[in-house]
Amino acid sequence: MHHVVLDRWSRGRSFIHARDARAKLAAVVALLVAIATVPPGRYEPVAAAWALVCLAAALARLPVWGLAWRAALVLPFSAVFAAMSWLSGDPARGAALAAKSYASAFAVIFLLSVTPFPELCRAAEWFRAPRMLILLMQFIYRYLFVISGEAQHMWLASHCRGGSRGARFRAAAGAVGVLFARSYQRAEGIQRAMFARGFRGRFETLAARRFGGADFAFLLGALLLIGAARAGGGWLWRR
Amino acid sequence: MHIPDGFLATPVWLALDVGAAPAVGLLARRARQDFDESRIPLLGVMGAFVFAAQMVNFPVAPGASGHLVGSALLAYTLGPAAASLVMTAILVIQAFVFQDGGVLALGANIFNMAIAGVLAAHLPYRLLGGRRMGVFLGGMLSVLVGAFLALGQLLLSGIPMKPELLALSAGLFFVNAAAEGVITVAALGAIRGIRPGWVQEISPPGKRELWLFGGAAVALAVFGVLIASPLPDGLERFLEEAGVAARAKALITTPFGDYEAAFFRAGWLRKAAAGLAGLALISACGWATGRWLARRRRA
Repeated sequence: MHHVVLDRWSRGRSFIHARDARAKLAAVVALLVAIATVPPGRYEPVAAAWALVCLAAALARLPVWGLAWRAALVLPFSAVFAAMSWLSGDPARGAALAAKSYASAFAVIFLLSVTPFPELCRAAEWFRAPRMLILLMQFIYRYLFVISGEAQHMWLASHCRGGSRGARFRAAAGAVGVLFARSYQRAEGIQRAMFARGFRGRFETLAARRFGGADFAFLLGALLLIGAARAGGGWLWRR
Repeated sequence: MHIPDGFLATPVWLALDVGAAPAVGLLARRARQDFDESRIPLLGVMGAFVFAAQMVNFPVAPGASGHLVGSALLAYTLGPAAASLVMTAILVIQAFVFQDGGVLALGANIFNMAIAGVLAAHLPYRLLGGRRMGVFLGGMLSVLVGAFLALGQLLLSGIPMKPELLALSAGLFFVNAAAEGVITVAALGAIRGIRPGWVQEISPPGKRELWLFGGAAVALAVFGVLIASPLPDGLERFLEEAGVAARAKALITTPFGDYEAAFFRAGWLRKAAAGLAGLALISACGWATGRWLARRRRA
């Protein structure tokens, strides 16, 4: 599964993997803003930003083609609107939509490939995201695997009994009802178990991460390169 | 419809991000009143349930299937504030982990699906006292409102779309929304059958709420028409471009043609009176249908 692969990549060892999640999150958001503010009809800054992420992925020893392939998930949606723009007589805007959305998705996949999701959540909490939302995201991410597995088992069981393809509407609704019941009961059990182990609405960590000099240097360097890509992408392209 | 990054104009995504941030903070505070923080595991697992439920396909027409979106179902089981917060968390995970929707476009997606979508699901359910029709309308509106808001934001960002393409998109949205309504009714019925206590029972709206909604409807009918765009809507523009509008003939003349009351002289009064008359007419039709249905049920 897509997120299992990203989770494995995010636990790698490299200079970029070792940086503080706050620095990486800030750098990627700056890159996204740089891409989003490129006016329609200009592709060089978008290409320069994309090349910058490719370079960072290579430095982090990540498979660049794997990232590129996964970022293509965004293309079906972009292609529909690119086609709409093209049919409405503005092919340049259509191409810009596809290029910008692809480069942005590539940058976000790169962030997830060098930062474990729980660390990203802690960084978001540091940036003042509501704690309840962060906790919810961590629980959803954790139990996504479990409940999806349960749904797949149910689908397989129904398939073995000759259901599935021609499944009647009521049977599918019943499956959702049963999945809800199982999830709810599991959730109540998990809640009781966590409460018994001392959970009071907060994940305790053994040591808080320090934002060191290397993290500061990484963020500064990234921001300078992003600024250069945004401002000078055209100049580099023409050379 | 999840909007990716690179689609929205900077003022649009920036304004929606700035607006969504405090709204999510408020939702978190409101949700904490219903679910204290030690019960977050329950909400988290229910969020994971929505992801998994989206894998179950429903046959909606011969050769076509759809899947649950889930915001209405969450609103009817967890309550609107908690459902909004769970939907927000799902949207953030979808943006970061599954590339479904953008990071800078999160404000727009949260506003469309987690805030307006859940509210649109909750209102008919609340107003119709949790009846099956309210569940259907809520499921349908949750998808429809989110999709049309997204389409509006894309148009506002200058993405060109031909009227016929817009009409086609609107048609597809209606089909999807109707499927969501039917699926929500069926799934909620199945959940009620397993354990009725899991569904939030709603008492019929009180007099205060009815006055509030009535006042809002009157205010919209009187003042909304004054700020409405004078430009033709998508279908009218399409008909104009196709040359059909020029050949159209009015078979009957009415006192409220073109949404203006002919018997007033001042422009604003003509529009306001037409809006108010329309509201009165629709309310009367609704009241009469309700009475007739109630009498049939008693018989």
